[in-house]
Amino acid sequence: VVPGETALAFYKAKNPTDKPIIGISTYNVIPFEAGQYFNKIQCFCFEEQRLNPQEEVDMPVFFYIDPEFAEDPKMAKIDLITLSYTFFEAKEGQKLPLPGYQ
Amino acid sequence: MSTAMNFSTKTFKPRPPDKGAFPLDHFGECSAFKERFMKCLRESGYESSACRPLSKAYLECRMDRQVLPQLMANEPLEKLGFKDLIDEKPEAKSDK
Repeated sequence: VVPGETALAFYKAKNPTDKPIIGISTYNVIPFEAGQYFNKIQCFCFEEQRLNPQEEVDMPVFFYIDPEFAEDPKMAKIDLITLSYTFFEAKEGQKLPLPGYQ
Repeated sequence: MSTAMNFSTKTFKPRPPDKGAFPLDHFGECSAFKERFMKCLRESGYESSACRPLSKAYLECRMDRQVLPQLMANEPLEKLGFKDLIDEKPEAKSDK
């Protein structure tokens, strides 16, 4: 991935149960310091997503790495950034502390 | 990975996406585009740049089905970082 260039990535989620599940996901970027340069244009995170029984769905993330990443001397040794998502089951009435998101 | 800067390290603050959430493709209508894109990635050794036309095609597929929120639907592809691919189009009209 080239800093400044938009890129698309896919994850896949499956609901192996026989009940519909409503999930919500959050993400993490490793190494931590690279997270500030990671910009998501669109993704499936922070919103509840419903998966029907046995449903398997592709989950796209459209993002770019801030071009300033290439200028930051602290990032010079980083050539692998890992983006991970954790899917939680949304519980009735529970609101995740979403940072400034309506 | 943390160095001696531990005590001043901020906790990771997730940021919401710029253009909101991507509605899921529950019916797999654009799966073919996704498969072509993934195949390209595998063949190119996971070079994101090499497969940008295909990622553009995938986004166009989603937009055509008007499942993306208004924000994306009205967003010209050039604003999404595909300006160079659009400029190329007159010379090499890629098949959709």
